Order: sequence, then structure tokens, then C-alpha cells
Amino acid sequence: MAYPYSHPSEVRILSKYFGDPEARTLKGWEARGGYQGLRKALGMERGDVVNEVKTSGLRGRGGAGFPTGVKWSFMPKDSGKPHFLLCNADESEPGTFKDRELMRWTPHQLIEGCLIGAYAIQASHAYIYIRGEFFEPAQILARAIEEAYAAGYAGKDVIGSGVTLDITLHLGAGAYICGEETGLMNSLEGRRGEPRVKPPFPAVSGAFAKPTTINNVETLCTVPHILTNGGAWYRQWGTEKSTGTKLFCVSGHIARPGNYEMPLGFNFKEFLYDVCGGIPNDRKLKAVIPGGSSVPIMAADEIDVPMDYEGFVAAGTMLGAGSVIVMDETTDIIRQVGRMVDFYSHESCGQCTPCREGTTWASKIYRRIRAGFGTEDDLQTLLDISDNMTGKTICVLSDSCAAPIVSSIQKFRDEYLAVVERSEPVVAEIA
Amino acid sequence: MSVNDKNPGFAGDTGEFPNLTEADIRGTAYVGTRPLDGGHASVAGTMPYQLATRGPAEGPIFTGPYEERLAKVISRYPDRQAALLPALHIAHEVRGYVSPEAMEEVAERLQLPPAYVRGVTTFYTMYNLQPLGKYLIQVCTNISCNLCGGEDVLHAFLEATGTEMGEVSADGLYTVIEVECLGACGFPTAVQINERYFENVKPADVPTILEQLR
Ligand SMILES: Cc1cc2nc3c(=O)[nH]c(=O)nc-3n(C[C@H](O)[C@H](O)[C@H](O)COP(=O)(O)O)c2cc1C
Ligand code: SF4
Ligand code: FES
Repeated sequence: MAYPYSHPSEVRILSKYFGDPEARTLKGWEARGGYQGLRKALGMERGDVVNEVKTSGLRGRGGAGFPTGVKWSFMPKDSGKPHFLLCNADESEPGTFKDRELMRWTPHQLIEGCLIGAYAIQASHAYIYIRGEFFEPAQILARAIEEAYAAGYAGKDVIGSGVTLDITLHLGAGAYICGEETGLMNSLEGRRGEPRVKPPFPAVSGAFAKPTTINNVETLCTVPHILTNGGAWYRQWGTEKSTGTKLFCVSGHIARPGNYEMPLGFNFKEFLYDVCGGIPNDRKLKAVIPGGSSVPIMAADEIDVPMDYEGFVAAGTMLGAGSVIVMDETTDIIRQVGRMVDFYSHESCGQCTPCREGTTWASKIYRRIRAGFGTEDDLQTLLDISDNMTGKTICVLSDSCAAPIVSSIQKFRDEYLAVVERSEPVVAEIA
Repeated sequence: MSVNDKNPGFAGDTGEFPNLTEADIRGTAYVGTRPLDGGHASVAGTMPYQLATRGPAEGPIFTGPYEERLAKVISRYPDRQAALLPALHIAHEVRGYVSPEAMEEVAERLQLPPAYVRGVTTFYTMYNLQPLGKYLIQVCTNISCNLCGGEDVLHAFLEATGTEMGEVSADGLYTVIEVECLGACGFPTAVQINERYFENVKPADVPTILEQLR
């Protein structure tokens, strides 16, 4: 079962209980094997827990794909300071809706992952930072955290181990940039969610200036399964470098939208046409964004690639958060890219000039092109602005805005040219 | 008609799960009613803060259960400043927006400079700085929803409520705005009305949804 749709090619580890309301409750979760991973971890040395996750090859599911066990091993040993684990539940990257499903169907899966992660990195307190709009999943998680405390899985002396593991749910207030790891730390501390200059890196000085590890919801949800079954077990799926399974959130022009948990390395074309049912209304595919609005767009003839970190990089794009946005032949690429640029312009925190100015100018140029006042020179200007926005700022929001601009101009130049040559409003109300 | 046109009752496409009710998806029975004092300290800072029913419009915000809740929240962080967002949530929940007086009260409670509190408050889009309609209707027009007609849904809400974007309807009931991705992209169009999500919304659903709110 996997709400709302499923397919036999899926391997459902994280999503096995999507659509099963009983799995939400503590009793239901325990009956489905829940909290076994935590029990096992607490019986192990902390370093061995880290090693088990290293063995699994699990990579961060929040976008960057950094190996989780390696990230955990960066935490200092016996630093004498409090350590913190942060769970990134800010899910705001356009096209991404996997963490919400994980939280609304299996809150205890996430809590268990946070507790194991905190134990592994010598933290006695984990904070889950959930985006403000997620009131509904937050209430479900809140209830589940209360259950976990009442059952002795959280708090002092967790299930008789002598270990203290606190967990606090923290609700945000609407700002995409708080999903960036150091922006999130600032926001948690009661500041504006502006990203910090690195170094210092979080493992040295993160939340509250203490050694901190931050992981995505899906990453932490995978951890209990790795502890219960072993790191080697997880490697039976996926490829050598992209191990295990990953949730792919599919949206846009697709027959069966939703989350699919696929073994990494599965063929992307087969995924779209077979697993997700293809493009509705007998239309053809025009373009697809494989990893959320921040990654380069793929044209329809580029999709015959393996769905893993390396496969998408080889195709000139990225796996990102696994957020697949499908666009059929009727899609106005300039309108949709312009909409994404508006988003980045709205969400730029404004600290860095290339990002603050670049996103604003790019957004204005897209409006002008669509209003019928564009020229061929505008395309070069957009590419120049994008170049100035890439690799020059505190965080990669700026680069993320440039990715769809550059890739769409490269791949759909004719469409841009047709619009600038037509020189009349494409959409009447935008002028 | 494609498969994703099935609408299960505004909590998401139930696809292969025709028997799931809206309540099953929302988890309403499991959550129950959370107490005004916030319940366990670990989750006290997470009550919904965009609600139709609000607290008293005047007098101090942090009294009774709200004061208890704030104290619990503060106990969960290494310093008081970290309770700033949760404290602003409470102010928003009680008043329906964050007024300059509310910011001052929060500043005093957390021993922070009022100007600092103002600087933080204005950074976050979910803190409304003016009173809005009883129902804040936020329609996602970001890419995935937009591909499936998000802008049409936005216009349908504006038309049905007789408002311009961001304004309060004459009867004080509605404010309609455009919002960035709500993280429900597979269930387009995603609409947030106060603390609830309505998923798979089509323009034709708009009258039904407004009716349901009353
Ligand atoms: C602008 C921006 C927004 C981000 N938003 C999110 C987010 O919403 N959720 C998330 O998990 N990671 C997000 N990230 C990635 C985080 O910075 C970080 O890499 C991630 O949470 C680490 O967890 P992982 O190692 O488990 O992937 C964002 C990054 C940037 C630059
Ligand atoms: S790149 Fe943009 S969002 Fe990131 S810190 Fe700089 S201004 Fe802020
Ligand atoms: S694009 Fe509308 S919810 Fe994500």
C-alpha cells in the first residue's frame, strides 16, 4: 500500500504504511515493528550506530545527497558541550511533498529516527523544525511526541538505558530560506532566518553555537530501518554509490501523481511512463524537472537515465529532493520558468547583492518578455545575470534561481525566440 | 478525464484508497482537541495560529493558559530568545495578527528589544501585520499547482468572495492571497484556509468550499 497510488516496482520501506491510519498511533507503530531500531541502537556504542549508517551508504535526502554516516562522524567526540540534532522539516522546495506524507502517516517513524540520530551524535536534545504552514502534520507529530514521552521512548532514561533524549517540535513562520541549514539554525534561535557564512560549519558551531547535525525528515525516517535490519541489508537496493530507496514526489502533468518509493537507479523513463502512468490526455512530454525547482530542466529526449545521484548529474541535472515536475507539450516554458524566478525573488533573504538584485532583475525581465517587450538581447542578459548569481553567494538559493533560467534558455531557445520576435503580449493581463 | 480528477473531499487524492475518509487523512480522531495550555512542553509551541476563532481582542495576551504555554515553551531552549517565534505564534493565534502592541508585549516577556522583535516579525510571511478576514484563503500558484490550473483557482476564489487580492471582503469573512508552494504539489491545486489544507481544488469546487466554511 502506498497512498495514493502504488506500483509493483516500488520498494516500500518508508512508505509502507502510507494510507494506513492505524500506523500513526504508538500502538499501531509498535505492532508494525516500530521502536525496534531505537532499542537496538541504545544497546550499541554510539560510534557503532554511526558506523552502521555509514555502512548503509545512506545519503541525505534534503537535496545535497551528502552521506549521512560521514556527516555524523564529523561531530566532535566528548566535546564537553551540549550537542544538538536538528531535523529539517521545512519542506518548501516547489515540487516537494514527501516529508509531509511521512509526517502525516508515520510520525513515530520520524521520532524514532530523531532519537537514534541524537543518540549517535551525542546529543541529548533533538529539535524538529517544521514549516509553519504544516499545521496539520504538526498536530499529528505533536500528539505522537506526547505518546513517545508517555511511553518512555523520549525524556530521561529512555526505555531504561540511562540515556536522556529530549525532542522538541518547533513551528516556523513561512520563509523558504529557513530550509537552508544555517538559516534554519538562526530561525530556531529566534532570529531572522538568514543563512550564515561558513565556516564555522555546524558540526563545530551550529544551533546555539554548539556542535550540531542537521538532517532531512526522509533521511532520519530511514535510520530506524537501517538499525533494525543492518546497513548491509539497505545496500541490497540501489547502486554502489546511490544505495537504498528514495521517495520521488511526482506532480504536474502526470496520470498518477504522488509519492513513489523507488530503488535508486531505476530507469527514469520507465518510471514516468510505466510507474506513474505517463502523461494524461494523450499528450506528449515536453520537459521534466527531476529534483525540485532548483535543478536544471531536462528536455523530453534526455530522460532515459538511471534515477540516482550520479545518473542525474551525468544528464546535466541533479536528483535534489526527488521532486519530479512533469510538463506536457502544452506547457508555456517561459511562463513556468518566470513563475519559479518570481518565487526565488520573493524568497531571497537579501543578504547578498548578486542574489537580491539578480533574482529581482531576472523576474522583471521575464515579466517584460511575457508582456511582449522582450528582445533577443534579453536572453544574453538573463544568462549574464545567472552567471553572476552562481557560486558567488552565502547560500545556494541564488544558484537555484539560475538553474532553471540557464537550462531552459539552452534547451528551449526557440521558444524564447518565438516569443521575443512576436513582440506582443502573450498574456493580456500582464503588462 | 484523467485519474487525478477524482476528488476525495479536499484532503488529497485517495487514488487506490477509496475508503479513506477526509478525517482519516487529516488524522483528526488521533489528534483530538489539543489543550489551550499547549499540552506537553515539548510540543507546546506548535498550536495552529491562523484560526477563525480568536481570543480576546484586548488586554494582555499572555495570561491564563497562554501564559502557562509560554512558560513551557521557554523551558525547552537554552535561551529565552529561541522562544520568540513560538511567542509570536501565540500572539497571532489570540489576536489574528501581530500588532505593534503585541510585539511590545512579546519583547517584554522575552526581555528583548522591541525593535529586534519587529525586525524578526517582519521577516516571516505568516505573521500578518494587519487584521484580515475571518478566513485567510491562500492559493498556491507555484509551478506544480500552476501547471494544473492554480491561477484559475485563485481567480475563482477572488470572484466568489468579490475581493481583490489581499483585501478583506465587505462582510469581513474573507481575504484571498496567492501563496508559494505549500508542499502538497501532488494534490493540485493546494489551498490553505486558516489552519487547514484543501487539496485537489478545482475552480468548480470553490462555492462548495466557501459553503463548508460557514
Ligand atoms: C535555499 C535552500 C532551501 C532548502 N530547503 C530545504 C528543506 O526545505 N528541507 C530540507 O530537508 N533541506 C533543505 N535544504 C538543504 C539543507 O540545507 C540541508 O542540506 C539538509 O537539510 C541536510 O539534510 P540531509 O543531509 O539529511 O539531506 C535547503 C537548502 C537551501 C540552500
Ligand atoms: S544567496 Fe540569497 S538567500 Fe542565500 S544568503 Fe545570499 S541573499 Fe540570502
Ligand atoms: S506547487 Fe503548489 S503545493 Fe507545491
